[in-house]
Amino acid sequence: MDQKNKNSKKPVYSKFSQQELPAWKPILTPGWVIASYITIGALFIPIGLLAWTASDSVVEIVDRYDEACVPDDFSKNPQSYIQNPNIKKTCTRSIKVPKKLVAPIFVYYQLENFYQNHRRFVKSRSDKQLRDVKAENDTKFCLPIAYDYDNKPIVPCGLIAWSLFNDTYKISTRGKDISIEKKGIAWKSDAKAKFGSNVYPKNFQKDGLIGGATLDESIPLSEQEDLMVWMRTAALPTFRKLYGKINTDIEAHDTIKVEIQNNYNTYKFGGRKKLVLSTTTWIGGKNDFVGMAYISVGGICLFMAINFILLYVFRPRRLGDPSYLSWNRHPIT
Amino acid sequence: MIQHFVAFQAMKDDILNQIEASRQVIINEKNKDDPFALVVDGKALEIALRNDIKDNFLQLAVTCASVICCRVSPKQKALITRLVKKYTGKMTLAIGDGANDVGMIQEADIGIGISGMEGMQAVMASDFSIPQFRFLERLLIVHGHWCYKRISKMILYFVYKNIVFGLTLFYYEMYSRFSGDVLYDGWYMVMFNLFLTSLPVISLGVLEQDVSSDICLQFPALYQQGQKGIFFSWKRIIGWMGNGILTSLVISILNVYVLSPSAFRKGGQVVDIAHLGLTTYTTIVWTVNCQIALIITHFTWIQHIFIWGSIFSWYIFLLFYGALPPEYSKREYKLLIEAVGPAPMYWIVVLLVVVISLLPYFIYMVIQRSFYPMDDHVIQEMKYGRKVVVDDEMWLREEKSSRKPTQIGFSARVDAKILYLKDQLHRKKMFIIKSIANSPIRRSISTNPLENRD
Repeated sequence: MDQKNKNSKKPVYSKFSQQELPAWKPILTPGWVIASYITIGALFIPIGLLAWTASDSVVEIVDRYDEACVPDDFSKNPQSYIQNPNIKKTCTRSIKVPKKLVAPIFVYYQLENFYQNHRRFVKSRSDKQLRDVKAENDTKFCLPIAYDYDNKPIVPCGLIAWSLFNDTYKISTRGKDISIEKKGIAWKSDAKAKFGSNVYPKNFQKDGLIGGATLDESIPLSEQEDLMVWMRTAALPTFRKLYGKINTDIEAHDTIKVEIQNNYNTYKFGGRKKLVLSTTTWIGGKNDFVGMAYISVGGICLFMAINFILLYVFRPRRLGDPSYLSWNRHPIT
Repeated sequence: MIQHFVAFQAMKDDILNQIEASRQVIINEKNKDDPFALVVDGKALEIALRNDIKDNFLQLAVTCASVICCRVSPKQKALITRLVKKYTGKMTLAIGDGANDVGMIQEADIGIGISGMEGMQAVMASDFSIPQFRFLERLLIVHGHWCYKRISKMILYFVYKNIVFGLTLFYYEMYSRFSGDVLYDGWYMVMFNLFLTSLPVISLGVLEQDVSSDICLQFPALYQQGQKGIFFSWKRIIGWMGNGILTSLVISILNVYVLSPSAFRKGGQVVDIAHLGLTTYTTIVWTVNCQIALIITHFTWIQHIFIWGSIFSWYIFLLFYGALPPEYSKREYKLLIEAVGPAPMYWIVVLLVVVISLLPYFIYMVIQRSFYPMDDHVIQEMKYGRKVVVDDEMWLREEKSSRKPTQIGFSARVDAKILYLKDQLHRKKMFIIKSIANSPIRRSISTNPLENRD
C-alpha cells in the first residue's frame, strides 16, 4: 500500500503538521461543574473569613479637622485665615479611643478632592535633580517652579515638591506626650536610589507663592522622609499618606489630645483634611470589603453548586444523548 | 447585417423557449425532491448569458441540482461564476486544474487549484491547492470547519481582550479628572499585545479543534455550523463585547475600591499610582489568559506553555524592569520585589478579581453545555466523555442521519432507474387492463351500464 516510492510526493508526516498532537480535551460534565463550584466555595470562604477577622481586628480612627480648626471669625472666609502668616494656626482636637490600639500605630493625614494624579502635577518634577547633585539645572519639566528670582535653580523643583504638606501633629494622652517616629516612613528604595544622599535643598520656597512646607537645608534629600512620602504621587483624589509611627500602645477609652498646626491650604479648592490613626494586620489597614467579597463569592458558588446538584437530579441530561443533536431535532430536509 | 440580426433574434427566441419549457417541466414535476440536471453547450451559453435573458437562464439553472456546461471557453467559465455569485449572493467555490480554469478560479470566492497533469497555472492562481480531486472533501469538511471555528473564536476573543485592557485606562481617567495621566507604565502597554497575550491567541487560531478530523468526516452535518454562520453572529459579537465591558468594570472598580485608601501592607504603607497600576494590570493579564483557557477545547502542550508561560513572563518582566536603575524604570523601580510582591493583599486581590470576572462566562458556559448543548458538544461527549451512553449502533445511526438523503450520484441514479422501470411496468399493466376492459368482447359480455366507465 504505502510503499516507499521514490516518486511519491507525499509530504513527510509529523504530528504537528498533521495536527495530531496528543491533546487533553476537557469535557464539562456535571461532575466537573459541581466540583469546580465547590472548590471555589471551599477556597474562598476560609480566605474571606481570615481576611474579615483580620480587618475586624484593625482599629481605625478618622478625624476631620479642617472645618473645625478654622476660628469662628473666619468661618466664612477661611482663606484669609490660612494665608495670614500672623495668625497662630494651632488647633487642639480631642479624640476618644474606642478600642485598644496596639503598637505600632500608624498616623496618616488623609486628603480628599486633591488630584495628585493630575497629569500636569505628576509631570512637574525632575527625578534626575533629586538623584544627582550635578544635575541641579535639569528643571525642564518643573516650570514654573524651577528658578528663583535670582535665576538660581530650585532643588527640589516642581509642583509636587512645592506643594509639600505642612500640617504637623503632636499627640498626647493622659497628660503625657506620645512620640511619633518620623524615620523609616518612606520606601527604602526611594531613600537609597531615587533621592541622593548628597543632594541638599536649595532656594526652596524662598520666593513667590508659598505652596507648602519648607525644608531644612542641612538634611540631604535621602533623609527627608516627608518629602519622599509626598513625592510618591497618589493614585486617587482621596488618599492617605504616612505621617509617622507610634510605638507605644494606647489604651481603650482614653482621650487623645492632638495639637495640630493647621497650615495647609485646602480651602481654596474645597479639599478636606483628616487625621487617621490605624493599626495594621497582615492584609494592611481596615478593609472589610475584601473579606466580605470573598465570603459572598464563595457563598454564591456554593449556592450555584447546590442548584446544579438539584437540577441534575431532577432534570438530568444523559451525557452524549443523541436526541440533542440538531439534525434529530430539526430533520435535514 | 440585418440578416445576421434576424438570425440572432431567432436563436435568442429559441433559447428563451427552451428555458421556459424546461421551467415548466420542473414546475409540473410531481415529486418535488427529484433532481434535475441542465446541460448547456458553449454556443447556447453565449446567447443565454447576455444581459437580457441571463436572469431567466440563471433562474432555471439555480433550481437544477446540477448544471453541465460543455465546450465553454475560459472567459465563459469566469462569466458564469461571476453571474452565479451575483445572482444567488452565495459563497461560490471553483475548482480546476488547467490554465483555462484560472479565470473561473479567480472569479469565485474560493478558488482551488489541482496540481498535476496540466501544469501549475491553476495552482498559482488559486487560494488553496490540492494534489488530487478527492482531497476536496477533506479540505471542506475538516479544514473548512476547523478554520471557521478557529477564526470566529480568535476574532471574538481578540476584541474582548482589547476591550478589557483599553477600557480600564479610560475608567482611570475619571479618577484623574480626565487630565490624561496614564494608569500603566508605557512598557506595560507595549508588552500587552506583543508578548503577554498574543501567543495564546496564536495557538488558539492554529491548533484549536472541536472534534478530531475523522469525526468531522463521519458527521458532515457539523459543516452546517459554518454555513449557517452560528459562531460569528451579531449575538455572539455583542455578547463578547458585553463580557469585555463587564470584566473591565469589575477589574477597575474592585482594584480601586479594595486597595485604597487604607494601607495594604503590614508596614502601614499606602498604595500609590504605581502599585495600583501594577495590580490592575496583573489582574488583566490573569483574567484574559484564564478566559482563553476556558474557550480552548483542545489542549496540547503548546497551548499550556503559551498560556501559563505568558502569565509567568509577566512576572519575569516585572523583575527585570524593576531591576533597571531608576533612570529607566522610573516609578516601577523594584516595584514587585520590594513593594507589591511581599504584600498578601496583592495576591488576594488578584485571585478575587480574576474569579469574579470569569464567573459570568463560566456560568453561561455551564448552562449552555448542560441544557442547550451544541452539536459538537454532544458529539464530543459521545466520543470523549466517560461513556454514559455509547454504543456502536447508535454511533452509526447518528452518522447516517447526519447526511442528507442523496438525490444525486450513483445510488440516486440507481433508485431513479428502478423507479422508472417500475413506472413503465405499471403503465404497461394499466394499458393491458384498460384495453381488456374496453374490448368489445367484454362489453358484450357484461350488460351492466355501470361497468362502462371510461
